[in-house]
Amino acid sequence: MDGIVGLLDGVHMDAEPSTLPLPLPLPLPGARGRPFDPPPEYETLRATAPIVRVDCPTGVRAWLVSRYADAREVLGDADRFSNRPGVAAHVLGGYSGGSAPIAEGEFPRMDGADHLRFRRHMAPEISTMRRVERLRPLVRQIVDERIDALPRTAGTQPPVDLYAEFAKPLTTAVIASQLNIPAADHHLFHTAAEALFSRRSGPAEVAAAMGPFHAYLHKTVAARRAEPDDDVISRLIVRSDGTDRSFTDAELVHMSRSMLLAGYDTTASLISHALLALLRHPAEMDRLRADPSLAAGAAEEMVRYLGVGAGLMRAVTRDTEIAGLRVRAGDFVVVAVQSANRDTDLCPDADRLDVGRFPAAHLGFGHGPHQCVGQQLARLELTSVLATVPRRIPTLRLAVPFEEITFKVGTAVLGPTELPVTWDGVL
Amino acid sequence: MRIEVEADMCIGAGMCALLAGEVFDQNDDEGVVVVLDERPPAHLHEAVREAVNRCPAAVIRVYESG
Repeated sequence: MDGIVGLLDGVHMDAEPSTLPLPLPLPLPGARGRPFDPPPEYETLRATAPIVRVDCPTGVRAWLVSRYADAREVLGDADRFSNRPGVAAHVLGGYSGGSAPIAEGEFPRMDGADHLRFRRHMAPEISTMRRVERLRPLVRQIVDERIDALPRTAGTQPPVDLYAEFAKPLTTAVIASQLNIPAADHHLFHTAAEALFSRRSGPAEVAAAMGPFHAYLHKTVAARRAEPDDDVISRLIVRSDGTDRSFTDAELVHMSRSMLLAGYDTTASLISHALLALLRHPAEMDRLRADPSLAAGAAEEMVRYLGVGAGLMRAVTRDTEIAGLRVRAGDFVVVAVQSANRDTDLCPDADRLDVGRFPAAHLGFGHGPHQCVGQQLARLELTSVLATVPRRIPTLRLAVPFEEITFKVGTAVLGPTELPVTWDGVL
Repeated sequence: MRIEVEADMCIGAGMCALLAGEVFDQNDDEGVVVVLDERPPAHLHEAVREAVNRCPAAVIRVYESG
């Protein structure tokens, strides 16, 4: 068995080399039974082997980068570290991977000016502070409506799954309202998201679920071209038609698809994961209940604490160094975001969940030009949930022993698969 | 303190406007950074430094003695 030492020539050693076998498998073996924390191996890796070889579930062999400074450097330098493979090519079999040509409009895999062109059009829709302030009352109202829709007293009823019956309807309502997708059609992007984010899906399953969704979006784009309304898709059409390179239908479909899929499931998973974290840290839940003005900082802290457990993939564009080790053009790199966010160089007590702080510059939404395009919408939704749920459902508690909760593994966005809860009353 | 931005590379993530709204805004067309106050008063300096640190595209520069 390869020892770690032989593969670490040139790597700066701060401590005794570990005896972990190499290449390490991803997810790391210690990931099991750690619903909120990165696998314990990361502490050792950060201390002794900040860049190591790993074998990913999709068969890709990559470098794993675990320290905050290195993670930030890789994500921040798009010239040396390209998005070409797709950020989840290490975990999702349905992803096209680095070898496939970039589809028309597949902006997450583009770099430089090609990528920027898409961001410039999506930013005014979902990530400017003006847009966020305009959306804030709507999001608050949707959060309240979704709470109103829950049974008033759940104590005598079967458990309510907050992921399926609160978080998903909430994120669906927010993103669908922006793209003006009627409720009868929501199942199309729900089905597509479930196929895309399931580790059991191969390319054929993903394609089968995406087909009807794409056909629907093509029809929608055509309809909005013919008759623009006051929604994101219409505004993307109108705004880009005023430029020298207006968007094609395929490009508009891809942007709409990205906003619906990510706006729906990644945010719903984050909300469920954050609520569960609060249920397991009742003192933090009490602080939020006593002072909802903490919610914005608490949302930021949740993204730091829980964000991108699966890590983000990049491809090396030219021979260079990471953490003092040579890497070659064409190599793949997995940035262990959750490990970086627990690096004491970022935050001295990084393993503590503290809803009272606004954490330092974490990487929970990524970093660099590809940083999450929907991050401000996600912040807004999570902030609204954290300001509201502890107050309106003060007796919220798990309906099953914590040990029975199951968690997603081997997918891009982690969190509980279900969040069965109960309560005595809704205020 | 004096602020310069490289707006050509801005991705419109909104971190500067979130963290230091008195100093940074985003335009309506593209969400690109707009500097409202190139020489912000001292009580905003810390927020500006945080905005620099959090800018995902690293397009904000601060000259402390400018």
